[in-house]
Amino acid sequence: MIANLIVGGLAAGCLYAMVGIAIVIVLNITDIANFAQGEMAMVTTFFAYWLLDSVGLSWWQAVPIAILFGMIQGIIIQQVIIRPLIGSPVLSAIIATLGLNIVLNSVAGLIWGHQTYTFPSPFAFSAPFMLGDVPIPVDSVVNIAAGLAIVIAMTWFLRFTWIGLGLRAASQNPTVARMMGVSISRSSAIAWGLGGLVGGISGILVAPSLFLDTNLMGALLIKAFAGGVLGGLNSLIGVFLGCLALGVAENLVGAYVSPAFGEAITFIIIIAVLIVRPEGVFGRVRARKV
Amino acid sequence: MSATADIVRAGRNAGSFGVSRVLLGLCLAVACVAPFVLNGYGLYILTLTGVFALVALGLNLLTGYAGQISLCHAAFFGVGAYATAILTQKAGFPYLLSIFVGGLLTAAVGAVVAVPAMRLKSLYLAIATLGFGVVLQKIIFEWRSLTNGGGGLALNPPAIAGYQLDATGLYYLTLTLVMLGLWGASNISSGRTGRALMIIKESEIAAGALGIPAARYKVIAFALSAFYAAVAGGLFAYLVRYIHPENFSVGLSIAFLSMVVIGGLGTIGGSIVGAAFYVIVPELLRGIKDAPGLVFGLLLVIVMVLMPQGLWGLARRLGRRA
Amino acid sequence: MARLSIEDVSVDFGGIHALRDVSFALESSAIVGLIGPNGAGKSTLLNCISGITRPTKGRVRLDDAVLSTLPPATVASRGVGRVFQHPELVVDLSVRENLQIACHRSLRYGLASEFLKLPHVRAAERAAGRRVDEVLDRLGLLDSGEVAIRNLPYGHRKLVDLGRALLMDISFLLLDEPIAGLNDAEVARLRDLLLRLREDLGLGILVVEHNMPFVSRLCDHLVVLDLGQLIANGAPADVLRDPRVMASYLGEDA
Repeated sequence: MIANLIVGGLAAGCLYAMVGIAIVIVLNITDIANFAQGEMAMVTTFFAYWLLDSVGLSWWQAVPIAILFGMIQGIIIQQVIIRPLIGSPVLSAIIATLGLNIVLNSVAGLIWGHQTYTFPSPFAFSAPFMLGDVPIPVDSVVNIAAGLAIVIAMTWFLRFTWIGLGLRAASQNPTVARMMGVSISRSSAIAWGLGGLVGGISGILVAPSLFLDTNLMGALLIKAFAGGVLGGLNSLIGVFLGCLALGVAENLVGAYVSPAFGEAITFIIIIAVLIVRPEGVFGRVRARKV
Repeated sequence: MSATADIVRAGRNAGSFGVSRVLLGLCLAVACVAPFVLNGYGLYILTLTGVFALVALGLNLLTGYAGQISLCHAAFFGVGAYATAILTQKAGFPYLLSIFVGGLLTAAVGAVVAVPAMRLKSLYLAIATLGFGVVLQKIIFEWRSLTNGGGGLALNPPAIAGYQLDATGLYYLTLTLVMLGLWGASNISSGRTGRALMIIKESEIAAGALGIPAARYKVIAFALSAFYAAVAGGLFAYLVRYIHPENFSVGLSIAFLSMVVIGGLGTIGGSIVGAAFYVIVPELLRGIKDAPGLVFGLLLVIVMVLMPQGLWGLARRLGRRA
Repeated sequence: MARLSIEDVSVDFGGIHALRDVSFALESSAIVGLIGPNGAGKSTLLNCISGITRPTKGRVRLDDAVLSTLPPATVASRGVGRVFQHPELVVDLSVRENLQIACHRSLRYGLASEFLKLPHVRAAERAAGRRVDEVLDRLGLLDSGEVAIRNLPYGHRKLVDLGRALLMDISFLLLDEPIAGLNDAEVARLRDLLLRLREDLGLGILVVEHNMPFVSRLCDHLVVLDLGQLIANGAPADVLRDPRVMASYLGEDA
């Protein structure tokens, strides 16, 4: 029983983690917390649904196109809304993302209405994997695998490629980065593109189990942030592990204490971390020069 | 750019709210005779505007002056609504006392939520309040014995000193509280607390060098804004006479924020304008479910990028040219 | 006669020794210059005194009370004023309004009184307004009271920053590179102003500066830091001839 809860928690945690990773990439490189991340992912998922339903593509054809759409969506948003705000106080950008949150939610509602759609998954009818005598649904395995793959890919990208190095330079010291030929605006665009891409993946993987409607990602957003706070908002690994821990904690508390408490655990974790270790388990404190 | 500064300063010199006393008196006079001119529905809209104006006044102190983002003010609004309803209906408190006690309780809750986050960047407060807003909705939903959970609470008309308040009575009560709230907010913003918040928003280090403890004042701003939201909630509960946890979602919190921003961050007149805007637009767009959301969301983005002074700033700029 | 003592202060930033065993004292009515090449730790030392950075070892004392464990707002309220390298003023407000912010601690009214704008609140605000006018006069900015900071030249902004510190009833003043960005006339004005402040108010003043002529004409004695360590402490004429000081500045434009 407990094994099931843990596996389920890990799978759910991976979904939070994907949203969280999208948020952290954008946050670390552009210093902006994208409160519209969930809604961007929701729109990408609806786009995928349109490709599957109206255009008639197969899952394996539609998903890469949708993920590309997600990336382009991120870049467009960065160019139209975020770039004009470079230099303004961070408060302005956060409010702008909140506005974007509502806009995307409303636009999706206007286009697709408020009914619930079933989003297909190629793994829905596969037999579960067996780990010992614990059945693990294939969906869960895919989610965990995707989460791990994204963390590894993003970490490798940021640490070992020229573009990635440029992004990290831009975030740590824009002035020097500029002098070395790194374009801050381009770095910002790449970061938002990556965020949109990763977010899109998370939406497509979540939709089969949570059913597709405009409220799909709303609850996930806060959990992604909570996992990020727990693990450390300036660490990709931190966000990943923090979200996994949150997913497992939710399941265990929900089963052994009460379901209501399971939901409240998100908030309790946030507050506890902020009191005890604000930079998160794996986070680093950034010193400020005065 | 300096035109903006001139507007802000001219506003400060032209009287507390940036408009002449004459104009203010005129608005007040019109507001007082409104019940004799409007039908039941018009009066309801006007009262609702007053309720949201109270929320906006408080939230403006937090976001406009102190520069902090809260995503749980709908929760404070809801706590105020439920606290007032429960104290009045189940504990038999007088209505006005319930509103006040509900406000104090909510302010205390607000302070507790804010304290851990206030030493940190404003992002952490936004996250903490997002979590709190979600949790509080759940608590209201689950605590069935107290709040009747998902069934909602139906409320009897309130009474003051034995006299039952009808729609007109509630309107005048709202108007009075809005006037009081407006005056108080104006005093705070022109007093040492308002000034402290402004320097905190600019630079917490500079604030510290002036002997102003930034964390403490951010908590004060937060608790005060929660108080305003709760009092508004107490009025709201008895305006609509049926409250339900679904009313007080994170979406409403973002809507509150959009009220203050679109009206004009950091200006008291902006709070009133934003509230009026927030009530009127859905009325005009009735029928198309997502249209108001689209309008508010778009305006929120547009204001941030193009018009940081909001509608109020725009109106004043046009007024100066006229 | 008050005394600000820096006692064996060391600061470690994760392997970087910003300060190592620095000790000296600042007394009332004294003007001390803190000089040294870039990266010597001068700003870090000011941050330790102001409470922004906590020393890894050692302490800062005001008379007998330890300051270095206190938060910045408390240090400021004990009478240690700080003027930063770049003035952080509220740009949309006027000079007068920015100075009013600095009266914060002298206005002792509670939140409820402020909300209701009770008579004693009005009286306190009026009194604060008079103090602001006094400081504006002292700074020679009486005519600029209503000007928005946005429209104020840089030199005047630095004066406003100094004015904020003066309104706080301080006994010690810390200045971080006060003449950077000022022309000669403004530098002379600032020097006269600081000397008058020492005479009229008995302030103990600690000035961090790069400009040698300025500090040697202004200061009673100089403290020299290099790579976090104190290498000289004495009268300007002696310090500037000290071979170790000259070596630390070798290649540096004085």
